[in-house]
Amino acid sequence: MGYLRRLPRFEYLAPRSVVAVCDALAEYPGEARLLAGGTDLILQMRRREVAPRYIIGLKGLSELAFIRPQENGGVTIGAMTTVRTIESSPLIRERYGLLCRTAAEMGSPEIRQSATIGGNLAGALPCADFPPALITLGAQVKLKSQQGERLLPLEEFFLGPEQTVVGPSDLVTEIQLPAPSPLSDGAYVKFHDRHAMDMTTTGVSAFVTLDQERRRFCDVKIALASSAPTPLRAKNAEAALRGQAFTEKAVEKAAALACQEAQPRSSWRASRDLRLELIKSLTKRAIRQAWEKAKAPPDGGRP
Amino acid sequence: MKHLLPVSLRVNGEPYDLLIPPWRTLLEVLRENLSLTGAKRSCQEGQCGTCTVLIDRKPINSCLYLAVEAQDKEILTIEGLARSAEVLHPLQRAFAERGAIQCGFCTPGLILAAKAFLEENPNPSEDEIRRAVVGHLCRCTGYFQIIEAILAAAREMAGKGAQVGH
Repeated sequence: MGYLRRLPRFEYLAPRSVVAVCDALAEYPGEARLLAGGTDLILQMRRREVAPRYIIGLKGLSELAFIRPQENGGVTIGAMTTVRTIESSPLIRERYGLLCRTAAEMGSPEIRQSATIGGNLAGALPCADFPPALITLGAQVKLKSQQGERLLPLEEFFLGPEQTVVGPSDLVTEIQLPAPSPLSDGAYVKFHDRHAMDMTTTGVSAFVTLDQERRRFCDVKIALASSAPTPLRAKNAEAALRGQAFTEKAVEKAAALACQEAQPRSSWRASRDLRLELIKSLTKRAIRQAWEKAKAPPDGGRP
Repeated sequence: MKHLLPVSLRVNGEPYDLLIPPWRTLLEVLRENLSLTGAKRSCQEGQCGTCTVLIDRKPINSCLYLAVEAQDKEILTIEGLARSAEVLHPLQRAFAERGAIQCGFCTPGLILAAKAFLEENPNPSEDEIRRAVVGHLCRCTGYFQIIEAILAAAREMAGKGAQVGH
């Protein structure tokens, strides 16, 4: 961890627009870091894990703080939208209960007030909670640079711990969610020591779509946190459930497959064996909860 | 490298025009430039909540917040909460009367977090209060009294506004 000192010195830039941020990134290639909510980067700087020459502060970019419904029934979320805003958005609660509940369980109210969705993705910590939930929701992420824009599935965004496809001159601008299908819902279940400033030891997101008769899994998406160097889709587990009726046996089998697909590491937080046990239990719980939620009519109440 | 940036802060209703290096946190500036030592420095990583202050009425960890990014925002520290030395805020009174203060180190952060929470949820359940202060550690471990104090203050504050049936 290292001794937590004062911050290293840097020059601070506060561009007022996305275009100006892209210009600043292009001007100082590799020397600038983007500061969103700061709940991860400030710690990394204090530990001297990073000491960028330039900090580009994004807090003033109201252009990227939005939650916008799309004509196709989907929703676009600006990268500087805080966890708190996502948690309390009626639109997110109504269309993506999974995302709303995931946000409500992150950190403390203080952390949620500062932390942003763009920072949670771009920071690419394997323990981050938004990536598995968003991957199971089929999210896409938009990057912008002086060269232009590109849109890619969030699944293809992560390359390793703290490593993403975001280049030194790229800015994550928005996250796009597809229209939710009827008879679908999800659950993100995690194990962690304590709520505030929690690092997820293991997390599992399951998102299921039921068939018309509400007896079988029409589609299933499962993604894991802190179970591999990057957020991981458990595709074999998903495939085992697709088309199946909801039975304990089917759920058990999917959980066993998820364990085989995962590559958790041992760390001071938890051993590999403990993490495998957790992946098994949490996958079962996530699938069961997702199934129950998808079967029930939308409650419209509080998460 | 430009080392000093002009920053205008509004703290407890008072305007301050400062020249500060960008790497200074809001907590450092409050404590060291403004001598407002109610917000405490402890874990420095957002775990303990002793540095919590309100920015535009919302709680944040001031150890994780650059002072330059608080430009033009309304900051409330524990020093600005009571209307006067004689008239304490209901939360302050409830904490004092119900033994929710032992060493007092966690108290400013907890009271400010509770204030912001009660503005959003004036009639909370005990469970909701526990979740609202999850980002705060009390090493005297007086949590029960803290929860009770927040509940009592909530009842008092809600009672003042309107008739409350529950």
